[in-house]
Amino acid sequence: MKDITRVQCLLSTEIESLLNQQIKKEAQSASAYLAMASWCDSNGFDFSSDYFFKQSEEERQHQLKIFKYVLDMGGSAISPEVTNIQTEFNSFREVFEEALEAEISVTQSLKNIAANCYKEQDYVTIEFLNWFFKEQREEEYKARRALELFDVIGEAGTGRWEIDKHVNDIKYDSEG
Amino acid sequence: MQNVITAAPSVEFVEVFQTLRGSVFQSDKENCWYIDFVGKLARFDYRSIMKLRKAIYAIDIEALLLNSEISPDLEIVFICACDHCYVLTLLEIIDFKQLLEGTFVMLELNRIIHDRVYRLSI
Repeated sequence: MKDITRVQCLLSTEIESLLNQQIKKEAQSASAYLAMASWCDSNGFDFSSDYFFKQSEEERQHQLKIFKYVLDMGGSAISPEVTNIQTEFNSFREVFEEALEAEISVTQSLKNIAANCYKEQDYVTIEFLNWFFKEQREEEYKARRALELFDVIGEAGTGRWEIDKHVNDIKYDSEG
Repeated sequence: MQNVITAAPSVEFVEVFQTLRGSVFQSDKENCWYIDFVGKLARFDYRSIMKLRKAIYAIDIEALLLNSEISPDLEIVFICACDHCYVLTLLEIIDFKQLLEGTFVMLELNRIIHDRVYRLSI
């Protein structure tokens, strides 16, 4: 008997479904960053707003990258529904805390997919995911550094203004 | 999977899985499956059988069982871009789910056999 399912699609049902969940997660991150950009803009933190706009765009690119991979491998990529985006924040600092938390959650979710790929020896998808792991190094670094600005500069006086001004200076340039 | 039946001279089916209420056959020639259930034989290609599985698995059987509202005990399963539509009672849904679960286990087993036996041999 021919193995029709394998001929049609490289991905197993489980991995395909996990990748679709990740597509949703990336879409949610993109929307969450957009909400953060909006909050920062309306509260006078122009540079941070730019920072979150860029982050949102990056998340969108991640989403599309996985979306195309699922399609290229013969699976069906599902355009996700995005709901429950937090639009209000109690403080400037809380925005960055949420951003770091979101990145940690994305890393964890990618690790979960990779663990499942190893379990079923899907090395093709693991190789694809490696790009994302490298990206997460940068994403988490940036989010952590941004939050550290609050401790280094301090929020008193013109502190928040200084923090906002320096957010876009954060660069991750480690080799590899 | 050993039973090979011939429905028409040109079409050869291999039985994938069978329960008391239905059967699934595969046609290697047409790259598709034929599902014999509730008195009808329907043809499904890869995309549509995946959609069928998703639709059937998505039905919350427990919720239907606990539903105390007076409503017809029927579920309509319609698959987009597919010629077939099923109108199933609760018991038929359970049977259909069982049939599909068994089918996908056998297809998975078939994949493992192909991976381990045929695809690695030189």
